[in-house]
Amino acid sequence: MKLIRINGDKFNFEFTPAEKDILLEVLNRYPLVPEAHHRLTKDKRLPDQQENQHLLDEALKAQKLANKKEITALLNEIGRFTVCPNGFRVFFTRGEIEWLLQVLNDVRVGSWIALGSPDPESGKKILFSEKILPHFRMMELAGAFEMVFLDALSGRAQG
Amino acid sequence: MPATAFPEVLPGIKQDQQTDSADELEPGYVVICWDDPVNLMDYVTHVFQVVFGWERKKAEKHMLEVHHEGKSVLARESLEKAEFYVHQLQKYTLNATLERDEK
Repeated sequence: MKLIRINGDKFNFEFTPAEKDILLEVLNRYPLVPEAHHRLTKDKRLPDQQENQHLLDEALKAQKLANKKEITALLNEIGRFTVCPNGFRVFFTRGEIEWLLQVLNDVRVGSWIALGSPDPESGKKILFSEKILPHFRMMELAGAFEMVFLDALSGRAQG
Repeated sequence: MPATAFPEVLPGIKQDQQTDSADELEPGYVVICWDDPVNLMDYVTHVFQVVFGWERKKAEKHMLEVHHEGKSVLARESLEKAEFYVHQLQKYTLNATLERDEK
């Protein structure tokens, strides 16, 4: 997957057929992060804490529902992916890339949680087994797509 | 789907007939981002730029503080604004919370 050109607000990417399949597979896993992962505060003394936590939970739930609908619409939009000699071309606007980053990172963090939240720096390593390999794969793939989009937004990727 | 459309859901606004309390309006809260070994450094920098409108250099400084110190105070705000920022950061799945400003 690579950035081909930036045309105004449109970022044009080229995918091989395998890359397109993998991106769709990753996006289809969304959402993965459990609701309880998001805490408003660690402080037990805050005013209206329970109510405010509830409001945050509801807002994030609504956001994820909206994101899920957008994924379905995006993946089924006629003309979004066009066939080219190397596979497919697709454009995303800057706003869509921001939204895709949120979706991809949810899949990345959710997969990391499913792996047992490993932290190699503190000695909490991943204990590999066949059972956890799909989570590891999903975490790495989501991260790889994030980097492509971040490079595109930052101008590091050459169009 | 329109090419420029993307979902934006803001935190719920509770109906309140009373004036906001001083506690909600005074800048007595800090927004903290905690270290999470899963989030990519470039990603965290990018999110700080988007959410706070910071230049890359400032965003990187806070990202590195999160990485090396385990956390970074990103803003000192009223309760309402701090909640807003926490929600924005959590939309990107960053590990962010608001805490009382003990300073």
